[in-house]
Amino acid sequence: MPLSAYLIVSAIIFTIGVTGVLIRRNPLIIFMSIELMLNAVNLSFVAISSYLDSADGQMFVFIVLTVAAAEVVVGLAIIVSIFRTRRDIDVDDMNLLRG
Amino acid sequence: MTNLMLLVLLLPLLGFAILGVAGSTFSNRAVLTIAWGACGLAFLFATISFFSMLGTPVAARTSDQVLYTWVASGDFQLSFGLLLDPLSATMLMIVTGVGLLIHIYAAGYMQDDPGFWRFFSYMNFFIFAMVLLVSADNFLFLLIGWGLVGLASFLLIGFWYRRPKAVAAAKKALVINVIGDFGLMIAIFLIFKEYGVLNYNNNTGGNGVFSALNPTSSGTLLQTVIALCLFVACAAKSAQLPLYMWLPDAMEGPTPVSALIHAATMVTAGVYLVARAHPLFELAPTALTIIALIGGLTALFAASIAIFQLDIKRVLAYSTISQLGYMFMAEGVHNYSAGIFHLTTHAYFKALLFLAAGAVIHALDGEQDMRQMGGLRHKLKITFWTFLLAALAISGIPPFSGFWSKDEILSSLLAQATIHNQPLSYVLWGTGILTAGLTAFYMFRLFYGIFMGDYRGSGHSSHAQDDDDEEASHHTAGRLRIHEAPPVMTVPLVILAALSCIGGLVGSFELIGLARWEPFTKFLAPVFADVHTMVTASLGVQWTSTALSVGVGLLGILAAWRLYGRGFQYKENHNPLYQLVLHKYYIDEMLDAAIVQPILWFGRTASRLLEGDLLDAGGRAVAGGLRGTSAALRRLQTGYVRNYALAILIGVVLIILYYAVRG
Repeated sequence: MPLSAYLIVSAIIFTIGVTGVLIRRNPLIIFMSIELMLNAVNLSFVAISSYLDSADGQMFVFIVLTVAAAEVVVGLAIIVSIFRTRRDIDVDDMNLLRG
Repeated sequence: MTNLMLLVLLLPLLGFAILGVAGSTFSNRAVLTIAWGACGLAFLFATISFFSMLGTPVAARTSDQVLYTWVASGDFQLSFGLLLDPLSATMLMIVTGVGLLIHIYAAGYMQDDPGFWRFFSYMNFFIFAMVLLVSADNFLFLLIGWGLVGLASFLLIGFWYRRPKAVAAAKKALVINVIGDFGLMIAIFLIFKEYGVLNYNNNTGGNGVFSALNPTSSGTLLQTVIALCLFVACAAKSAQLPLYMWLPDAMEGPTPVSALIHAATMVTAGVYLVARAHPLFELAPTALTIIALIGGLTALFAASIAIFQLDIKRVLAYSTISQLGYMFMAEGVHNYSAGIFHLTTHAYFKALLFLAAGAVIHALDGEQDMRQMGGLRHKLKITFWTFLLAALAISGIPPFSGFWSKDEILSSLLAQATIHNQPLSYVLWGTGILTAGLTAFYMFRLFYGIFMGDYRGSGHSSHAQDDDDEEASHHTAGRLRIHEAPPVMTVPLVILAALSCIGGLVGSFELIGLARWEPFTKFLAPVFADVHTMVTASLGVQWTSTALSVGVGLLGILAAWRLYGRGFQYKENHNPLYQLVLHKYYIDEMLDAAIVQPILWFGRTASRLLEGDLLDAGGRAVAGGLRGTSAALRRLQTGYVRNYALAILIGVVLIILYYAVRG
């Protein structure tokens, strides 16, 4: 399969992720959408790495996976904490930082 | 000897520092130990210096030792040194000696005051500042002492800081003194510009101004301006026309302060400065004439105000101004040692008058109005006798101290008049004689008013009733028990009375045939050795002057006795001339209208127009603009995560588009 096919799939997944982040109100779904975006990027990394016959891209994928895991840990902890205090985790209700 | 001088300077400073830092935790006894100790030791060391100076040959009596070089820049050196010569030794003796007596007296007077420690810490500070002023060996440290003395007087006049009148008086004193400081500063700038040095005399720290003077520059504009600027400083410090107004108001301070600062020592700083800087004044004959003229005017002017005053401390304040006028008259006709001599005797009897007045005020629980006194001779025996001696001394009755010094001044005025045949000097001499008569009159009016006749007071002080302050706080209600002051107050009175009696005997006895007996003049002679312009009076001139001055003095006493001998009676008098003098020629009112009100008006207008409509308006516009912008921008900060995510997305898209379009 040509490289473009991988990149198109990657772009589609990324767009789904972005849309999810922008329109969903449940933070868990937003997190999943962020995971989609990250993995879309991972997909293009791997594809380009194979195309260029170089291992650099694959190394980046591992770094991205690690960072994503860490990010999810912190994010879930924050969500749990918010849930404990507010009994509700709708992102549209969280606007304490409004100027 | 210099080390002793340093102790004289530093001990009061140490006392001030200790009392100022920790005084509030000390008992009254401990405060007194420190304050008396500092001042007493300073007096002891000053006395030792003085007498060891008497033991050295005349030529070796001046010592000027540099202790510390402050600025050394190229060939310019500014050093701090202590100058000990007959003039500064005399001043030191007066400052520390009279100062010590007043420290002792104040222990009784201020006994119940909650600010006891504060009072003595200020007093020690004053002694320090005055010692610095008289013992500095250059103009710069003179200026520092000059300014610190003004500060000390500000602190002490405003000592009862809860009284609005005392605070206003302190402010007034400070403002007028600063005018003088300004004059002194200008003079010092000019001296430095012209001569490049600030030391008085040559010493290890460099050359001195007085040796750099060029006799041919006599009478030039620059010399006259320097001398006049110096005199502005002297006039402010020594309360001469037109800068005298602060002194009568300074009577708001505690009476020992009036005695110490406003009679015996601080106000004499101007007289001292003219004597110290006499080589500069000698080069400016016009300035000296002006000084003599202002001295004469002030003497007569202040004496005339003193005649009708009802507040006993105010009478004494105006009499101080008047006596200072005499000193400047003497210096105006080159007779500097007579000026210093009068300064010395005046310190004795004026301190005594104030302290005695303080004892009267103390006995009457704060009453200062002569109408509420009378008949106190039986109750206050010691005060009565000492006051009488001081009154005789200031009236110039022989053989009391005031006679000798005033007589020297008057005869040297007449000598100047007869020998140079100057009409102006005749006028000055006449003014002096007239003032002598007025002085005797108002002093004995005061004397009869306080001590003779019957007691006119209502029994309790009106002052205590309407003035709820520290001084009144310890008043007992009901009838007043008039009592003589405790020994701690009367002993200084007696010592000062003794000095007032015999203090003049170091003057010239030429009049009674002992031409060689003039120890005071001879003692000061090395300082004034370069003055050749002073004329000496012939015996006939001296007798004329003496006979007249004693005559008018006796006449003044007689008049006062005729009018008030059976007790002082106050009558309302609507004679316009009387009202004019009673209200001190309305000078305060005129100044208020001519200077104070315009400045206040300018300040208010400027604060409204300049500050309000111009400067603040600009500031408000900037602030308003920022506030509007930030209100608009704040809308962007919604707090919704989604909006931020969208903003990031738009940003990323824009960046990608930019690179895509650019290729």
